[in-house]
Amino acid sequence: MKKIVLTAAALAAVTLSSCGNRNQDISVKPDGSLDPCTLRFSWWGGDDRHEAALRALELWSERYPDITVIPEYGGWDGWTEKTAAQLSGGTAPDLMQINFDWLISMPKGGDAFYDLYSIPERIDISGYDSEVLSFGEMEGALRAVTISVSGRTLFYNSEVYDSLGAEYPETWDELIALGSSFSGKGAYPLDLDIQSGGTAWYLAVVYVQQTTGRQFMTMDGELGFSAEDIKLALDFYRRLEDERVIRTIQSRTDEDGNAALYQSPEFIDGTVAGVLEWGSSVGKYEMVLPEGVLEAGPLLTDGESTDGWMIKPSLMYAVSAQTQYPDEAAQLLDFFINDPDCAAIMGTTRGIPASSYAQAALEEKGLLTGLAMESDELLGGADTIMVSPYMELTRIKEYCNEAIEKVSYGQTDTGAAAEELYNSIQGYLEKIRK
Amino acid sequence: MKAAGIIKKTAGYVLLSAAGIIMLYPMLWLVGASFKSNDEIFSSAWFIPHDLELSVYVRAWRTVTPYTMGHYFLNTFGIIIPRMVFSVFSSVLTAYGFARFEFPLKRFFFSLLMCSMFMPAIVKIMPMYMLWGRRGLLDSYIPLTLPALLAGEGSFVLMIIQFLRGVPKEFDEAARIDGCNTIQVLFYILIPCIKPVIATICIFTFLWTMNEFIEPLIMISSVRKYPLSLILRLSADSTGDGYEQRKIIAMSVIGLIPSIAVFAAAQRKFVSGITAGGLTG
Amino acid sequence: MKSNIKYTNPVGVSRYTGLLLILPFIIGSLVLTMYPFAASFIFGMTDSRSGEMVFTGLGNYRSLLSDPDFIDSALVTLKYAAILVPLKLAVSLFIALLLSIELRGIGVWRTIFYIPSILGSGLAVMIMWQFLFTSGGLVNQLLVLCGLSPVSWYGDSRYSIYIIVLLRLWESGSAMLIFLNALKGIPREYYEAAKVDGCGNIRGFFRITLPLIRNAVFLNLVLQTISALQEFSAPYMLTGGGPMKSTYTVGMLIYNEMFRFGDTGYANAVSWGLFVVITAAVAVLFRLTGRLSEEI
Repeated sequence: MKKIVLTAAALAAVTLSSCGNRNQDISVKPDGSLDPCTLRFSWWGGDDRHEAALRALELWSERYPDITVIPEYGGWDGWTEKTAAQLSGGTAPDLMQINFDWLISMPKGGDAFYDLYSIPERIDISGYDSEVLSFGEMEGALRAVTISVSGRTLFYNSEVYDSLGAEYPETWDELIALGSSFSGKGAYPLDLDIQSGGTAWYLAVVYVQQTTGRQFMTMDGELGFSAEDIKLALDFYRRLEDERVIRTIQSRTDEDGNAALYQSPEFIDGTVAGVLEWGSSVGKYEMVLPEGVLEAGPLLTDGESTDGWMIKPSLMYAVSAQTQYPDEAAQLLDFFINDPDCAAIMGTTRGIPASSYAQAALEEKGLLTGLAMESDELLGGADTIMVSPYMELTRIKEYCNEAIEKVSYGQTDTGAAAEELYNSIQGYLEKIRK
Repeated sequence: MKAAGIIKKTAGYVLLSAAGIIMLYPMLWLVGASFKSNDEIFSSAWFIPHDLELSVYVRAWRTVTPYTMGHYFLNTFGIIIPRMVFSVFSSVLTAYGFARFEFPLKRFFFSLLMCSMFMPAIVKIMPMYMLWGRRGLLDSYIPLTLPALLAGEGSFVLMIIQFLRGVPKEFDEAARIDGCNTIQVLFYILIPCIKPVIATICIFTFLWTMNEFIEPLIMISSVRKYPLSLILRLSADSTGDGYEQRKIIAMSVIGLIPSIAVFAAAQRKFVSGITAGGLTG
Repeated sequence: MKSNIKYTNPVGVSRYTGLLLILPFIIGSLVLTMYPFAASFIFGMTDSRSGEMVFTGLGNYRSLLSDPDFIDSALVTLKYAAILVPLKLAVSLFIALLLSIELRGIGVWRTIFYIPSILGSGLAVMIMWQFLFTSGGLVNQLLVLCGLSPVSWYGDSRYSIYIIVLLRLWESGSAMLIFLNALKGIPREYYEAAKVDGCGNIRGFFRITLPLIRNAVFLNLVLQTISALQEFSAPYMLTGGGPMKSTYTVGMLIYNEMFRFGDTGYANAVSWGLFVVITAAVAVLFRLTGRLSEEI
């Protein structure tokens, strides 16, 4: 028995020391010069992104032969977990491709990333407009730079719309009216989901933001909607189901299981003829339909304005706060956001670049075409709202998806679901805000 | 007698064939799907593709990294082989100790063995990441292989204990009378009797390591050192603009070949065991 | 069989020999079990949602018993294990019996039956299950053909658990392998003796085979119970825990809290909750089968 107690005590000591000893992240100050060193650069993505980035790094090594860059890349699965482990273990790469909400959801939040305003001579931010730049600003520090901006817009299967003689809806009422005309043919004009993307909640938010002029969530994590606004959103969703604009959650689940819409036979054969998707990732929907069949549709309005639609940075670059080489890492970051030759190699593999220098380089090469660009232009012409990183938190999305699911299965009425959702979001925001 | 035997065998074959189709179907589908475009993959469950374009396998083998899949196979084997050797060594010794000897704190250690299996593996990842990080051993294969040397897989130990219990203790005693010491009893008497279990442990180690994803992903950061399981998901980005599904599938088909081959080779071991002469010898 | 409850060491063998043999395990249990357990317990006493680790004492643990998320998913998990484990033992034993017959080319069959377990839980399996269980899927077509009404497998919270159970039954390879091992370990002489005594196939199975492989049955019972109670990847892939959380196992809850929601403290506390559930379940199994006294 004595032995056990002793062992336990020794273990507790080991554990405590390994937990407590992690306060050694005193940032290295920039020294103003580029010294020979080895940097680590991490990103996730698909083949096209990997290939392009590896080629861009070859160009980098010609320009800066003394600064070796070791790429660390992989698929999306598990990448968040990996980065979280690295950031809390003090082993993060020097430069990282990150998601918007990581600025608040990663261990240590924004402090995990280097303040890029402290290295002004390395990073040229003159190619950014101040709104886009502000996505990465936290309390006066620049924690991340936006690579590309994107928002969800509507895309439709033109073959199905043509064969039914339907026009792409321009107003909310037109969208709802399409439900009945499509249902005669056993089809649906649109599909929304409650999977991790949560397009159902997103469209409902756009609708309510446009009608009420209030923002769902502010940039610093205040809930802008009242419980009534949330009820309005859930009622709107309910109406879409009731009017057969979209499938109910149960029939969607029955038909597709847990598959994403672009993997769904109903989308591929045109039974479901519309999708709400980020302009930067609509390619996977386009790919499963014959060429040119998927088309971008207008932003829905209440007849007057297109307010309420949203944009967010689809990807960002950030430098680790623990880097030993802030100057060099910042230089690499600048190369990837601004350098015209690098931009030409990278193309749109990380979305349509937000930096005007990179954009100009792509324009010149004629690379700015396609649905992503059309979606971008639609949003560019509207008075958009910036998505709050808090809205992107998986927990918040989960609450919203759960509320929609309960309403769809008829487990609660929209009033009760709205009340519950309001309280869960408020409770959660209070816990995580500093 | 003979007729009954034939009926029995025929019935056996019929049952096997019916069930076999259900078992084999996804494998056939997977091979078929490696030749299909994304829309064909998801819209039809029929496995025969419209056309056969083998170039997808060439591209799959090359990968987007500077290395081919061959390199990543070698990486994976570099984890699997030490793991197998370590697992067998440490699990057999531990099980032998538990199954055949009395010692102080035995009950306590046995409870610990059981408890080690009760905790979900993912809660261990962060503490272990920190431990290896403090020793500077991240981005190496040590975090993935060393635990096997320390009997890290409780179920293997339990498995061997159960099978050792089936070997009569009279065997040990007879051997000791013949002058065998503790280690000799294990090697000359017991290990030959539990060979099939050892083969099973090797199979499990092989397949689990081939499929293991989250732990290597977190422990290993250099692309050059990735095991195959990370390469198989290297191109899948569900948040992105879309990817060529068939190439990912072709990679996983290539990745399945060694697993199937190893299983097919190892299952031969299941005919031996103590049947061969354990009781008479 | 319980004759020598306390097996004494052979003559001349020190009482520390056993300790020496399990030395790798002892070191392992310090580094690989006790250290992460201790760390996990301490993590469980923190709240890191704000980005900083705040020490909260036993708060997370104390609220577990009144936490509806944990209780709901624990009930789902227990129900799942109660359905799956007996079925899986029966199915894998049946397949093992089939595969133990010495037929020409039996190795190929063994391999074929193991393939589902090799495939694990990838895309191929997801698509095959969709093909089988979606509203117009094969299973429903067969049901209609038999004059029954189709079932809402994926979308109805009463049935969704069964598609996961069926997946795990289909992947019975590991349990089957353990049974096969045990069956192959039965000396042929036993069967011949039984035939002389006039035992038929079925009686032979219950009288001779089953008692002889009881170690393997017990082993599978324990291992399958543990893995069913830790189930995570099958619902993660097939149903995402839905609909209406009907397949949201404790394993999924832990994974989501830890990785998707970043609530490490709570995830660790839930893991300890699961640990207690599994310990209790295995203790019951030991008690029911009278193994504890025999084991040590």
